[in-house]
Amino acid sequence: MHFASRRAGAVLVLLMSCFGASGQSRRNDHLVYKKKYIMGTVFEIAAYGPSAQQISTAIENAFREIVRIDDLLSNYKPESALSVLNRSAHFHAERVPPELYSVIEQAVHFSRISDGRFDITVAPLVNLWKAALAGDSTPSPAQQHEALACVGYDKLELTPPDQVTFHSPCLQLDLGAIGKGYATDRAADVLRSSGVHDAFISAGGSTILALGSPPGQTAWLVHLRDPSHRADPYIMLTNGSVSTSEQTAATLLGRDSPGHIIDPSSGRPLESQFAVSVVATTGTMSDGLSTTLLLLGPEQGKTLIKQTPDTSSVWVSATAQIQTATNGRQILFGGKL
Amino acid sequence: MSKNLRLTFIDLGKALLLLLALTPCAWSRVFVQWSTRELPSKSSLGVSDLVFFWKSGISPQLAAAREQGYRVYLQTTMQSAKDAAEDAAKAGCTGIMLKVPDSQSKQAAHEIARLQPAYPKLKFLTLNPDAKVPNMRGSLIVMHDSVLEVSSPTAQPWIDSNLALVKVEQRAHEGQVPLYTFPWSDRTNLTATDYSLAVAEAGAFHAHFVLQLDEHLQQALNAHDASAWALWNQVRSMMNFSADGAAQALAPAANVAVILDQLDASDEVLNLLSRHNIPSQVFLAGDLGREELDSFNILIVFAKPGREGQQRITDLATHGATVVIVNAHDQFPWQGAQRVQLNEHTISYAMGSGKILELSEPVTDPETFAQDIRRLMGKRNSLLSLWNGLTTIAVPYRQHDGTLSLVELVNYSAEPVRVQLQVKGQFKSVRYESPEDGCCKTLTSTEHDGFTEFVIPDLFIAGRVHLQR
Repeated sequence: MHFASRRAGAVLVLLMSCFGASGQSRRNDHLVYKKKYIMGTVFEIAAYGPSAQQISTAIENAFREIVRIDDLLSNYKPESALSVLNRSAHFHAERVPPELYSVIEQAVHFSRISDGRFDITVAPLVNLWKAALAGDSTPSPAQQHEALACVGYDKLELTPPDQVTFHSPCLQLDLGAIGKGYATDRAADVLRSSGVHDAFISAGGSTILALGSPPGQTAWLVHLRDPSHRADPYIMLTNGSVSTSEQTAATLLGRDSPGHIIDPSSGRPLESQFAVSVVATTGTMSDGLSTTLLLLGPEQGKTLIKQTPDTSSVWVSATAQIQTATNGRQILFGGKL
Repeated sequence: MSKNLRLTFIDLGKALLLLLALTPCAWSRVFVQWSTRELPSKSSLGVSDLVFFWKSGISPQLAAAREQGYRVYLQTTMQSAKDAAEDAAKAGCTGIMLKVPDSQSKQAAHEIARLQPAYPKLKFLTLNPDAKVPNMRGSLIVMHDSVLEVSSPTAQPWIDSNLALVKVEQRAHEGQVPLYTFPWSDRTNLTATDYSLAVAEAGAFHAHFVLQLDEHLQQALNAHDASAWALWNQVRSMMNFSADGAAQALAPAANVAVILDQLDASDEVLNLLSRHNIPSQVFLAGDLGREELDSFNILIVFAKPGREGQQRITDLATHGATVVIVNAHDQFPWQGAQRVQLNEHTISYAMGSGKILELSEPVTDPETFAQDIRRLMGKRNSLLSLWNGLTTIAVPYRQHDGTLSLVELVNYSAEPVRVQLQVKGQFKSVRYESPEDGCCKTLTSTEHDGFTEFVIPDLFIAGRVHLQR
């Protein structure tokens, strides 16, 4: 399993009925929907506009952009720019494409604001626990210690404008925790530049980005992940993004069952009962913050949200424990608690 | 279990195995369902078997198809089987296909047994009409009236696959190759990829399949439309690929047994086991005495076992199997063994070299349950594992001696993916066959700890890996 698939949570979405509503001036808008398997998940784009052909072309171009991002950020494709960097930057400065440098910089930002709880160098630990997830025995303390020694964003040196140095022989970067969010941002850019202004991009349900609104509506109604099935948190989203992170559910194997999100501070699977959803202005921000907030937990997470403009978050547990933090769009609740 | 009863079970199992061994294998035939008056020649269409809906009397369409050398089957219901058989026999048809849902499989067998002696030249086939359109789904669904709604989102792509149905059919009609079909429902503008995926899926599962052709495509083929023929030739290419796999008489390999009270292909646990590439085989509660269960590493018991069944489960666990009893509330003989409460709903009992897990509730999350089964199986017992295979279903096949020799692959995303496979066993030759490049390209493989690993660089819709020790 690579870091990119660490999201178990999914954002539950219901898009309101559009035609036949009050949007008379846009009643002739066409809806085009397409999906494509990229970055180990299904990307879906639904968009409205007066020309079905124009929207269709725009969506195809947006998918091409996501494929391009995958070719840059994938740690599975051996020829990606990130994979090349992971093979070559140990103890010397390696030049990387400016876009990759920029994404690494943004990822490191999440490490800094979380004091390392979010860490793009966690790959050695993820790889170690991957085997346990697949049915192998739990890694020994010695193995965990060895992998933990490889991890730490402080072992990563960034030299503007485009140089990266690894100060550890076993450091590996994995941008999966923000890669899909970044890809939705770039796909949104392509849609906008193609004249599509009302669209909805879903990266496997874990990150959603909304442009504009459906015809006749002021926003897209997005129901958020609710493990309790009682709270029904939702937002009205327009020109913004929402992401959800959640640790693997408890299983019939009991506490010995490893989860897929690894806490770099302990070197072990994170123990969290919450699903956390984050609303932000960009996919990169919501994606990176959702993993960060899951790792930090509600108490520290709420402090972080207060320091981060235009963001909101909600933590929901299976037992309907709910915590929210609002420094941006309001998260609403439709359920009876 | 008493010795006598156990012998009876074993004898029954042996008899069924013998029946399976003696059954001629000819899997993965594609029957094309035709409905327009005209039809292209057999050589241009590239198929031998056509299916027509039976209507009372012999239509000129049937005669024309027969004259062109097609093998013609009439599709009908059980209620009309006798009349259809009469017409089929008069028209020189090859056989009758009875549309039979899972729930009526016993009655169908009875009806066929009644009709076959009267029409000895006709083949009687049971057709499961409840298959799904194979598909990779996302979270969003576009409704008819341009209302967008969402399906149950999962972290990974959801696959609509017919593997669970095939496994149920394999048990429901032992000794027969499963035969299924599905309507395309509201799907319009069907592409070569849509048809090819359906054909590839049946081929990979070694099942027979009735392909329902869109009537517009039939008309376009009759009108010699170039784009229609270009589409059809792509589908033909996939048909040829699927038929090639049929040349080998192999059995599906599995090491997880699923024990059911009644056969139900819509069971989500079966779907999710298939979806997670956990090779499983379906049994009924009455099969617990079968000797072949000795070779399974995991048994998932949804049935309520009787006293003999409980003893058999105890024996299997004692000899190393892991048995998961779902929704267990009774008193069982193993409950005196050493127990560990794993969580609120699960108790584990140590039994000799194996164990029994009692789950006190039904499976509420089949996705997590399937993942748990993979973890319980452990790496050592995994017949195969895939990386970057979230949209791929892989089915391993074995020779009579149990050796893995073939892995069939279907990629539901229909986008080329680079898939890494690990199969149990050491193989000196790993060769890859695909519809695009034919047979066969040697793949570089590495052996590690009793497993063989290799990478398929570009799996589009279908692929086939030949393994040789």
